[in-house]
Amino acid sequence: MSGNRVAVVGAGMTKFVRRAQETAKELAWEAASKALESCEMTLDDIDAVVIGTAPEAFDGVHMNSEYLSDGCGGWGKPVIRGYVGGGTGVFSPIQGWYHVASGLFDTVLVVAEEKMSSCQPHPQGAFLTIFDNFIERPLEPNLLWIFALEMNAYMNRYGLSKRDIATVSVKNKRNAADHPAALLGDPNITVEDVLNSEVLAWPVQRLDVSPVTDGAVALVMCAEHVARRVTDKPIWVEGVGWSLDSAYWTNRDLSYPTYVEEAARMAYDMAGITEPRKQIHIAEPYDPFDYKELHHLEGLLLFDKGEAPRAAADGVTQRDGDLPVCPSGGLLGVGNPIAAAGTMKVAEIFWQLRGEAGARQVPGKPKRGLAQAWGDLMQVGTVIILGA
Amino acid sequence: MSLLYRIQHPRDALVVEGSMPITSLYTVGIAGERFFREIMEQARLFATRCPECDVTYLPPRLYCERCFSQLDEWVEAPATGRVHTYTTVHIDLDGNPLPEPRTIAFVRIDDTDGGIVHYLGKVDPSEVYIGMGVEAVFKKKSERKGSITDIAYFRPV
Repeated sequence: MSGNRVAVVGAGMTKFVRRAQETAKELAWEAASKALESCEMTLDDIDAVVIGTAPEAFDGVHMNSEYLSDGCGGWGKPVIRGYVGGGTGVFSPIQGWYHVASGLFDTVLVVAEEKMSSCQPHPQGAFLTIFDNFIERPLEPNLLWIFALEMNAYMNRYGLSKRDIATVSVKNKRNAADHPAALLGDPNITVEDVLNSEVLAWPVQRLDVSPVTDGAVALVMCAEHVARRVTDKPIWVEGVGWSLDSAYWTNRDLSYPTYVEEAARMAYDMAGITEPRKQIHIAEPYDPFDYKELHHLEGLLLFDKGEAPRAAADGVTQRDGDLPVCPSGGLLGVGNPIAAAGTMKVAEIFWQLRGEAGARQVPGKPKRGLAQAWGDLMQVGTVIILGA
Repeated sequence: MSLLYRIQHPRDALVVEGSMPITSLYTVGIAGERFFREIMEQARLFATRCPECDVTYLPPRLYCERCFSQLDEWVEAPATGRVHTYTTVHIDLDGNPLPEPRTIAFVRIDDTDGGIVHYLGKVDPSEVYIGMGVEAVFKKKSERKGSITDIAYFRPV
């Protein structure tokens, strides 16, 4: 482990909703205040603020972190925004970690927010300019193209059926039924529902995808001497990692996320983890699409390549399975306000390791968990490992 | 650098056109909803107050940015204030001369710690000074729609 020890001591979030009346700042404030209240701290106790928000076109505000800063508690404090697209939600806590691990600050408030409903007619429009202007944009692509091509490549490589993958969506939407902040929890959803949903871009169907969402999540992170004072249940950051693959998605192996493996290896090395399948007790991989959870579990080295679907079918990834995966309900169930969704995963690991996850609590007192997000031009992996 | 030295027009090089096809619908939020409805329906300005920090926010906010407490104390503010600073604008966004120069002022609203940047009207630009007392002129009720431009301009008092 490098640097000073860093703990997560508080977490808070808004409900994830389709269309919030609150402004983006008001959402950020609600999550940030709840996180502070959860550890009985006030804004005066906070040394610095880290803000996470994904493409500015969603909120429709350029220099979005400056706009959000007062809602994030940034008044009169050192404030920074890091940005790695959809990977931001896990990267922001990593940034919070190095603010404290470096010794520069004792306490950091990490706030991630996304208000996608501002973006009309659909946030897809904001993604058009991520594509290459000359090679791809003349074809009028949308984001689903990438996922459909990637999902098809993954299915074909390992001989997977749609049914093998739909089980992930069912698990996560059912898990989310126990999450008080969830947008799309459904205790009764079945594989047939997923297989019968509208085809968007084959093989991607409506219920394979997470929804457009508004929401915010915040964490309080601090140095060991502060953590010991404010809580008797600090959750330690044991490892962090992030990595970028080629910006040309056509120069990558779409059936395997190498960038996730690189990020995971960095985090495992830092945490001294040599056998992740035994040493990681609970995982929150990024699941904006159902196949992505499987894809990422393999990149995280938690299953052999092509083996995650079978493990899912066998119940290994259920809340009461050997490796509970997305016990929160994930992006597919809780919702996907981009940056906030990744931080929600880190908050879930925090609550699970403290035994505070309520109806979502996995059995067996897990001691170590991992959260992962993915994004940028679909080529960044960000990983954080927390331990009790 | 190659062609850039020689091309006279952007289209002398091979180019493609593009745009980001989005528009935004911004909710005015929890505090903004009440602020703009009071302007629209009653032609009144409201502020929120943090008793802890002794700060009166106009435009009103849901929370105090200094102590983070939720602000529940709504106070009516006068529609009057003083010119904190001002400028007179002579060109539009494209650099073309405006038919009439426009004077823009940051008006500190009386009895608050905030203010509004808005047009000044019914005053010759050469007569504006910092510290000048002004008041809001609201549009007719039938023309108000819950926007900051429901205030037509500020004029000297």
